[in-house]
Amino acid sequence: MSLHRTAAVALFTVMIGGRGSTVENSRDISLESRMVASREFSTAEPRPLGAQSSTDLFDDTTLHEVRLFVHSKDLATLRARYLENINTPADIQIDGTRVRNVAIRSRGGGSRNPDKLGLRVDFDFYTRGRRFRGLEAIVLDNFWQDEALIREQLAMKVFRQMGEVAPRESFCRLYLNNQFQGVYGLVEEIDPDFSARETGESNGYLYEYHYRFLFNGEDLGPGFDLYKMIFEARNHELEPDEQLYGPIRDLFHDMNEPDDALWFERVGQRLDLPQFMRSLAIEAFVGEGDGLLGYAGMNNFYLYRSPATQRHQIFPWDRDLSFRFDTTSLERGLDQNLIFRRAFAQPELKTIYLDTIENTARMAMENNWLETEIDRLVALIDAPNREPTPYTKHFTEAEFDTQVAFLRNLARVRPQLLIDEVARNR
Amino acid sequence: MVPLRFLSPAARLAVAAFAFVVSPSLARAQSLPAAQALALAQAMPPTGLSASAAAPAAPRRADASFRWEDHPTLLIGKNTRIAFRARVKFDERRSDAPIPDDEDTTLDLARKRIGVEGEIAGLFDFQVERELQDDDPWRDVYINYRQFDAVQVQAGKFKLPFSLDENTGATNLDFAYRSLIASHLAPGRDRGWMVHGRVANRILRYEAGVFEHDGRNARPRNPERVFGDRTIAVRVGVQPFRTSKTPLEDLLVGVAMTRSDLSGLAVGLPGLRARTPLDLEFFESDVWIKGRRERRGYEVRWRPGPVGLKAEYIKVTDERLEQSVEDTDLSPFLAKGWYVSGTVALTGEKKADGLDAPKRPFGRGGIGAVEVGMRLEEITYGSVATDDEPSTSPRADVIPGNADRVTTFGVNWYLNRWIKVQFNLIRDKITDPSQGPLPSQPTFWSRVLRFQFTL
Repeated sequence: MSLHRTAAVALFTVMIGGRGSTVENSRDISLESRMVASREFSTAEPRPLGAQSSTDLFDDTTLHEVRLFVHSKDLATLRARYLENINTPADIQIDGTRVRNVAIRSRGGGSRNPDKLGLRVDFDFYTRGRRFRGLEAIVLDNFWQDEALIREQLAMKVFRQMGEVAPRESFCRLYLNNQFQGVYGLVEEIDPDFSARETGESNGYLYEYHYRFLFNGEDLGPGFDLYKMIFEARNHELEPDEQLYGPIRDLFHDMNEPDDALWFERVGQRLDLPQFMRSLAIEAFVGEGDGLLGYAGMNNFYLYRSPATQRHQIFPWDRDLSFRFDTTSLERGLDQNLIFRRAFAQPELKTIYLDTIENTARMAMENNWLETEIDRLVALIDAPNREPTPYTKHFTEAEFDTQVAFLRNLARVRPQLLIDEVARNR
Repeated sequence: MVPLRFLSPAARLAVAAFAFVVSPSLARAQSLPAAQALALAQAMPPTGLSASAAAPAAPRRADASFRWEDHPTLLIGKNTRIAFRARVKFDERRSDAPIPDDEDTTLDLARKRIGVEGEIAGLFDFQVERELQDDDPWRDVYINYRQFDAVQVQAGKFKLPFSLDENTGATNLDFAYRSLIASHLAPGRDRGWMVHGRVANRILRYEAGVFEHDGRNARPRNPERVFGDRTIAVRVGVQPFRTSKTPLEDLLVGVAMTRSDLSGLAVGLPGLRARTPLDLEFFESDVWIKGRRERRGYEVRWRPGPVGLKAEYIKVTDERLEQSVEDTDLSPFLAKGWYVSGTVALTGEKKADGLDAPKRPFGRGGIGAVEVGMRLEEITYGSVATDDEPSTSPRADVIPGNADRVTTFGVNWYLNRWIKVQFNLIRDKITDPSQGPLPSQPTFWSRVLRFQFTL
């Protein structure tokens, strides 16, 4: 074994020792209490609003009530120009607590539409430094692409159950100017506050990935322009490009290192490879079609870089295309995604991947956790989802029922199928 | 000798002004009777100002004559005269705050204005004045029927009767720039008509008029900004001790108001500008307004001997009808401010008579008239409501706003009737510097040196 390889294995051992991949090692929720606002552009101290914590907001055992108040002219503009990110003044009332002067805007990719608006609510936009229950913003997910409405929450719940960082979510009834708009998801936004909460690091670098072109981990060259196009910095925006984007450029440069041993050592210094493989494994379990191993390249994730280790990790986002298939190949995306292919070739990383899938499947099967979870979530939204809305619903009630039945069946059969497939791949 | 081309424009103007002032022949002309002065001017070499002054006098007719009064003046018969006016001013400005489009923080501004004024048959006054470099060149263009002192009627384009400082002529300002409230909250010029006069032994003066809009001061070019439609303006002033022959004789107290609907009750952003004396923005009023605009003004002026004291308070409110997120009314957008200023003529001239005719002009055994002054002022933007958390939302009830408190120290040097040199030292203090021209610090200094030539 070469010196490099030995060092890399030692490093790897430290990494997996520091971060387990099982339910038992799930993250310490108390990190939340260490919330630190780190947005560089804000000189104001975060000002908390609302006596309760965000834990109440994302309590997924209850159906919350959210009311938005928007000037009639602004609402017409919001609907007419739903493809644009136009921040619009509004008041929001969440479970009876009113917050004035927030900004809302249309959001989403394929889910954007003028009827059931997907919305981002920004507490800080018009009142710099303001936080609501520790949050700078929340997302009101319209579930436009999910007939069953629960896929997104179910998938994120699996991530969190497995100890991975993922946004918290709950359901709500949304009213717009006192008119019922349907069942929405209250989704925790991934922002610098979130990364600080989840990692305990107050000054990490957070990037939102934007799909601009087919990208599977290739080296995009020595310049920063293409990286800046797909990785939007969510903090530290004023730092020089070399400091902000240099480590990302170097990551994907090293990602294309031909020598496996060197690859493992170098990429391992820039990317939390075990965490990456765990994320891929959970994504494989939930069968997400538009995530890290998406049908058209990587999509729907955030990249976080620790200021202490300079190592990156992945935060999942928008998993509403999960649980679509009751069968799937564990090696889906292997040919396509460079990072996955190179990592899968490393025995230690392959083991982590397979272990994580198996552990996730066993967690889902234990006491019928996945099916119970589906039943619980459906019970919350079933009745309100059947209430009339001012727009024609995207999906019929029959489609909802069919998809819920599909999910229940999937919960019963898919975990064992995956366990069997893992056994065949070892 | 330094070639003129190596001097800054301001310095070149100063040299030209100095040459004009110390020219023995023209200096003498200032004190000669008009006819003799005209003859002297005609005898001078045809260069520069003297040539232009002499030219109109050539075609003499029996019922018309040309005289040099305060200005070159054409007299027609007994009661008709046309005076030719011109003004050139030149500023050299420096500031700790960045001045836009000028990296070395220096900006030279030259403005040239020409015009005619006069009277017709003893019944009408008129004035036509034009800037030579401006997108909106026409200044005052009006005629005033003045047969009766108690009731006069004026029509055309002129300043709305509001604000003492705004209605002070540009050549007679105590400081290089008008007060912030006069520059930004008073209406300024517009087309319209008004009735005005003086009654009760001229103790009471009044002006009341109707105007097409509410003046140019609150009408930026940005089409999103709304301004007043048809505007009613009323101003009343009282000199309660006018007949008393005491030092209080000159004391003037006045009130004024304007009222107008904003752009046909359309929704828009306020046209009121929040700028420092050097025209640097310190607040952007991006809130939706709809409804009525009202101004209230209060003014005091007192000029005992060489001292001049002035103070004003102006408040402007723009309604925000149906502009909340629930389509209900918000508290009005508010702009308000005040100033207090004082000047002293160190060379003894009486302020009420004006300092533009020094007792001992420069170059004729004197130094001209020298005056020092100081002005304290503040202008504030925000909302009438203050009882909630402020927000920059265009539909917030409480607007965070901003304010500029300015202290100006000034020296005015009137060399003679035509030339005035002003130096102002200005200290701005912005309440929320993050919105201002210099976000790193709330307080900054500016300097202005102005040369003004008035014919």
